[in-house]
Amino acid sequence: MHRKQLLALVAMAVFLMLLAACAQQAGTPQVVRETVVVTQEIEKVVTQVVEVTKEVERVVEVTPVAGRCAPTDPDEVDKILIGATGPLSAPGSVVGGLVMQWSLNIAVKHINEAGGVLGKPVDLIFYDTEGLPERGTAVAERLITQDCVVGIVGEYHSAVGLTMMEVAHKYRVPVVFAETWNDKITGSQYDEIFRIAPTSSMVAEADANYIQDLGAEFVVIVAENSDYGVPASEATKERLAQRGIDSEIFLAEIGTQDWSPIIARIQALDRTPDVVLTLVTGEASYNFEQQAAEAGLMPTEETVCIANQVAINSEEFWQNVPDGNYCVFRKVGLVPALANDVTRKFEAEYRQQFNRFPESYALEAYDSLLIMADAINRAGSLDPDAIIDALEETDMIGAQGRYYFPYGRKNPVPPDEPEWMWHQWPDPAVLFLQYFEKGQSADEAAVVWPEKYQTHGTFLIPYGTTP
Amino acid sequence: MVEINLSFLLRLLADGLLIGFIYALMAMGLTLIFSVLRVVSFAHGEHYMIGGFAAYYLLETFTGLHPLVAILLAGSVTFAIGAVFERIFLRPLAEEKVERPGEYAILVTFGLGFFLQYLTLALIGPHPKKAARYFDLPAFELGPIKATAATLKLGTIPLSATRLTAAVIAVVLMLIMLYLIHHTWLGRGLRAVSQDKQAAAVVGINPLRMSTLAFGMGTMLAGMSGAALVPAFAWVPAVGAPAAVKSYVIIVLGGMGSIPGAMLGGLIIGVVEALGTGLLPDPNRAFAYRDAYGMLIFALVLLLRPRGLFGRQE
Repeated sequence: MHRKQLLALVAMAVFLMLLAACAQQAGTPQVVRETVVVTQEIEKVVTQVVEVTKEVERVVEVTPVAGRCAPTDPDEVDKILIGATGPLSAPGSVVGGLVMQWSLNIAVKHINEAGGVLGKPVDLIFYDTEGLPERGTAVAERLITQDCVVGIVGEYHSAVGLTMMEVAHKYRVPVVFAETWNDKITGSQYDEIFRIAPTSSMVAEADANYIQDLGAEFVVIVAENSDYGVPASEATKERLAQRGIDSEIFLAEIGTQDWSPIIARIQALDRTPDVVLTLVTGEASYNFEQQAAEAGLMPTEETVCIANQVAINSEEFWQNVPDGNYCVFRKVGLVPALANDVTRKFEAEYRQQFNRFPESYALEAYDSLLIMADAINRAGSLDPDAIIDALEETDMIGAQGRYYFPYGRKNPVPPDEPEWMWHQWPDPAVLFLQYFEKGQSADEAAVVWPEKYQTHGTFLIPYGTTP
Repeated sequence: MVEINLSFLLRLLADGLLIGFIYALMAMGLTLIFSVLRVVSFAHGEHYMIGGFAAYYLLETFTGLHPLVAILLAGSVTFAIGAVFERIFLRPLAEEKVERPGEYAILVTFGLGFFLQYLTLALIGPHPKKAARYFDLPAFELGPIKATAATLKLGTIPLSATRLTAAVIAVVLMLIMLYLIHHTWLGRGLRAVSQDKQAAAVVGINPLRMSTLAFGMGTMLAGMSGAALVPAFAWVPAVGAPAAVKSYVIIVLGGMGSIPGAMLGGLIIGVVEALGTGLLPDPNRAFAYRDAYGMLIFALVLLLRPRGLFGRQE
């Protein structure tokens, strides 16, 4: 019994100890811990919030370059990385994009052969924008925040340029646009944005002047429904109206193939147009021009055909617009007669590949990189502000002639000049040429405007005649 | 201001019908594929593009080759591409070896489309090509009818020779297809498989072989449409996208899997687009909204008759 009582006492003691232990685990300490933890967390959170607030204040101070990963000190890099864009896929103008990419690569070669930039080789990172605004945003972000480029050059489509410029402005990265015409691009007056292509307004002015010299009274403008076509057609219409010339605009989607309904509509107008002006890019312009020729709309004795500037690719033009003889087309950029040493050096390589004088967008792409490289060299730094300052002070000879930007931060655009003159090269040449023999090359086409460059002493070789 | 008169309306109608026949031929191929395989081929536009390039290069390479032979050869090329693709990538679908057949069919045909488009871009480049006019019209004048090599003019209505040729080719091909489908053993086999695969197999028709044949014939029709139109449009690797989108609209409008539906749908879309573009008062917008007119008819048909004009009740 004694042993049994002893065992019972031990068992009771153990049970009580376990009970006490369990009570401790499940009861009081839990409450105490919770209280302590909550208190500590609140204190910590308050402390962290104060710290985050400080960080945000600091970020606001340096917003222009947040996320931009390019170094500012040239000693930190082995090569100078420059970004470039252009359309290499539909719905963009693939022909334009490929030519630009090729021209930019020649520029890289020439720059590096001449010793590079700041004594380091230039490396170009080229991305396809597909002619799509959203792709413009994406590739600009990637170039600036992942590839760490110090500047961007190139681009063909205005719609893409308009989105890219916002990204470049956000990260304060200088851009020299090569072939984007929309007025708003330099009209934004962003410090970072420069352009060597003409603006839509400059081209519209030339179009209106030429049409006025033709003595036209009524013009039909066929334009693509894009950030290029809409403002360009409106600018032309406005300028024609200032000269007392009536006009009507017809818009179509980019890449349109079948133009028959619009041609029917133009031919059903109550007056025959004196001029049909094509503001449509790429192969869609060929489709319109050939279908208009087949329908007897233009070119005719009554109606002058002004084809899109891609008509300058004569082999392609004659294959796609076999009935387009006597079409006039706009040539933006240099004429071969005005070529300088830089032009000839580029032209020599370009002809090996394409067997023709370089188009404006080829020359512009090539020059855009030369201009950026020249500015970085003169800046002596990769700091964006220093490069922008140097770009504003540009005075160099490129393939298209002397480049300079008369208006910028140090010399703001005066009130009597349009806003888009900001960081805008003011001298892009605009000429009109005319085919007058089927299968003729662009080099043989007549220069009909401006008068001082005329090769056949006339604004127009009449339909069906030989000069 | 546009002068709207009978002549103008007839011209719009003629333009719409000409392009409508081409739409119909292309959509016929797509609907044939759907009716047998229950697959919407997202590579249809690329077969149309390949057909055009095949005809162009055949005519460039073999000068003197008759355009109709080039069209038939282009159709054979796209038939072969389609049949091989079906055999390799779509056969597992027909054999029910794929877990999620709907998603698989979309992805695999999309993949083929991308592959063909970018392969063509790499091989041929982006520069637009165009075949010379297949047939020059004989020049004549007979009262209000006047013809030049490029244009036939009926009064004030000009009809392009290239487009007229393409439309005639489309009509002939559609008639041949209708005969094949309704008056031959092959056509009966295809129709049987489209209605009930198992029942068709019971009576001795091999559904797998019919699937290969249907896909090949569908891609062949797309290729021949392209070959017929390569003298009419500037041809680039991305040329098929707009035509393919129209085909998708047409086959839903006409009824998925219905050949007469595809034919009528093509004509309706062609005419509605032409009339909409011609008659909308604002010239700035009339053409920009071109695709919207077809979509409006499409939405109305879906609202009032969800299975399409000639669709079968499931």
